[in-house]
Amino acid sequence: MTHPAVELDGIWKRFPGVIANAGAGLTVRPGTVHAVLGENGAGKTTLMNCLAGVYRPDEGHIRIDGQEMIFSSPADALGAGIGMVHQEFRLVPTFTVAENVVLGAAPPIIDAAVIERQVGDVAARFGFEVEPDRPVWQLSMGERQRVEILKALWRDARVLILDEPTAVLTPQESVELGEVLRRMVADGRSVIFISHKLDEVVSFCDEATVLRSGETVSASIAVADVNASELARLMVGDVAVETVPIAVAIPGDPALTVDNLTVRDARGLLAVDGVSFEVRSGEIVGIAGVAGNGQRALTDAIAGLEPIEGGTVTVMRTDVTTAPPQRRFAAGLAYVPEDRLGVGLAPKLPITENAVMREFRTLRRGPLLNWASAREFCDRIVERFEVKIGRHDAPLAGLSGGNLQRLLLGRELSGKPDVVVASQPTRGLDVAGVRAIQRLIVQQRDEGTGVLMVSEDLDELLSLADRILVMNAGRIVGEFNAREATRTQIGEAMMGTATEASS
Amino acid sequence: MKRLVLRRREEAVRGGQPVAFAAGLVFALVIGALLLTISGDPVLGTYQRMWDRSFGTADTLSATFNRAVPLALAGLAVSIAATMGLWNIGAEGQIMFGATAATLVGRVGADWPSPVLIVAMLIGAAIGGALWALGPGLAKAEIGVSEIITTLMLNEVAVRLIVYLQTGPWKDPDGFGFPQITVKPEGSQLGIIWERSHLGVLIALAVIAGFAWFVNRSVWGYELRIAGASAKTAAYAGISMRKKVLGVLVLSGAVAGFAGGIELTGTAARLNENISNGFGFAGIIVAALALMRPSGVALVAVFFGAVQVGGQSIQTLGVSPAVAGILQALILFGAIGAAVLSTYQLALVERKVVTT
Repeated sequence: MTHPAVELDGIWKRFPGVIANAGAGLTVRPGTVHAVLGENGAGKTTLMNCLAGVYRPDEGHIRIDGQEMIFSSPADALGAGIGMVHQEFRLVPTFTVAENVVLGAAPPIIDAAVIERQVGDVAARFGFEVEPDRPVWQLSMGERQRVEILKALWRDARVLILDEPTAVLTPQESVELGEVLRRMVADGRSVIFISHKLDEVVSFCDEATVLRSGETVSASIAVADVNASELARLMVGDVAVETVPIAVAIPGDPALTVDNLTVRDARGLLAVDGVSFEVRSGEIVGIAGVAGNGQRALTDAIAGLEPIEGGTVTVMRTDVTTAPPQRRFAAGLAYVPEDRLGVGLAPKLPITENAVMREFRTLRRGPLLNWASAREFCDRIVERFEVKIGRHDAPLAGLSGGNLQRLLLGRELSGKPDVVVASQPTRGLDVAGVRAIQRLIVQQRDEGTGVLMVSEDLDELLSLADRILVMNAGRIVGEFNAREATRTQIGEAMMGTATEASS
Repeated sequence: MKRLVLRRREEAVRGGQPVAFAAGLVFALVIGALLLTISGDPVLGTYQRMWDRSFGTADTLSATFNRAVPLALAGLAVSIAATMGLWNIGAEGQIMFGATAATLVGRVGADWPSPVLIVAMLIGAAIGGALWALGPGLAKAEIGVSEIITTLMLNEVAVRLIVYLQTGPWKDPDGFGFPQITVKPEGSQLGIIWERSHLGVLIALAVIAGFAWFVNRSVWGYELRIAGASAKTAAYAGISMRKKVLGVLVLSGAVAGFAGGIELTGTAARLNENISNGFGFAGIIVAALALMRPSGVALVAVFFGAVQVGGQSIQTLGVSPAVAGILQALILFGAIGAAVLSTYQLALVERKVVTT
């Protein structure tokens, strides 16, 4: 009898105040793509980090090809054939593809031509399209991901763990990734695929294991026997899975007016090039576009984080073009930035201190902060937005992605804003988290708030937004009524192929 | 196959630091004993002397406390800058200029009532230290000049300034031609509170406790933590990085300058270029040993002061200055090692090789 490629058995992992894995198990057969599913905070990433040698489980067994293993570092795991591609890539931007691939596993003398040929050979074997001599900073996110996978293959990983690999990919790149994974399993390797996107799991994976609250609730289900909605039900448990109900918007007066806005990026290039639009009270305006077409510069400039070169930004009737961020917030503008942990939150600081980041000026008592009021303020957000926290003074970083976003959105909404600018508010969240955030956004709109929502998920925009603007190369190249537009129309506009914008 | 690895603990061991500290100390003393044996000095006698002269009697303990005062304040100054990821390498110069400013106040107000004079001199010292750090602070905040370079170079300027003052304008007319500055006014001597300890010990403790409390509770301290976390988050929260960088460096300088004021009013007879005596640099080590936490600097400074005082005392026993220096370094090295090791663990790891 052949042994499973990977066997995790009764894995327990506790962190201060949190049990991430409570006896979780996972069995992966060789030559299969195995999905690990679960909500944020279900313990997927922790379990994978135990397998990849990043963490050591408190209890439990790890068997690779039937051999009991104890890993004390990622290098140990790699030595046993376990490679992991993390959500954040670990590449040296100035190095070439080949240099990045061999980094840490290179021959003592590096001959660029030789390693480029060797890396090219490995890539060709698995059907990758990469140029080994290109520096990594020139590559798209999808190409960088391939470099990460190549790194693992170069070290002859028998088991490859991919943590939410499609989060950074275009639909076309996701399909290509699927083909690469097929070749890998055909070669006798195994792939562990962590994802929230259920349709991908159904199309890419052979088997699926579902985690909930750190435990395995369904092990090794044959994906061919289930559909996406059944998987969703397994993930969230008995909670009814429903879509966010949408009423027809009743737009009012302009809440946010952007007029002929121009923003330059750090390199002096035009990131936003003469953009004008309006968001009225009680409507959701979506911004669609391929990543990197000026969406981030646009929202950062509206929120006051990026200097404005030309044009004006008006919130309710107040011109805030030159106002600092806190004055814009006071004028009624809330902002949920794309980079939650690097911009909107401070992960190492306590939860309370994150909760009052917008309001601390009103919570002062002389030179001191009124900490009792701060905690009350935090509690109101926690209660109203159903954030699951442990201790108030524990670092924010201990919260799961969904809870982080609830806290951030809750904090922004607690000021009763007139406009909410939300950039990728549901990216990386699990099914329940996405629904909760979407529901909050729609609820805000129904209460008369104007919402500007940037998303790379077209389906999300089509289901939530009232109007969709399409950005390409820093310009608005199309405007669509979200009730009537089709994916194809918007997709063409995103690529800049639409000849004339329709409305 | 087994191998020994050093790995970071996922969780700090409760109460592990004192144990690690003691172990580091024992380790240093054992190595030191070997060294003393080789150099032909009496091991127990030397250690006995070090203990007697640092902690052993009320007289020496009170002197150790005095020594700890400038170390603790300099350590506090360095750790304040470190909350924003900044390195104040210029506490040395700020101590000197603080003491210079205090001397200036003393010359002006020599006949003021003693408490008024002392308070005025200490305030002058803090302002002096703040001014000495203002230039580097502005350069860092406005155009991003490395504060490490600017604060370090101003140390030398402070030395030259004092040398100029003692050979020129402030030269003691009763100094028999020696280049020295006039003795400080009589009313400027800090009172004695216990044996040899002067009031500066209590003042330093109050400053450290007050600062730690203020940073924890105040809006300013909160903004400091956000700004220290990430520049982008600070911008998002509407906190000006420029103001914070400038504020933190100036405050760091003020605390170091204040230490100069305490040295002048507490232990020194007059201002000279040795008044900072390396305290500014030692403060960097103190802050590092205290893991950059303001609350830890007082304890570390007492230990550091004891090692310095004890290390100097054994030279009168005939231990060579070199050996005495190595002993001091060993003890500090042991303690630093302990501080690091208490966040790591040694583990014997079973490593199995895949055989299939």
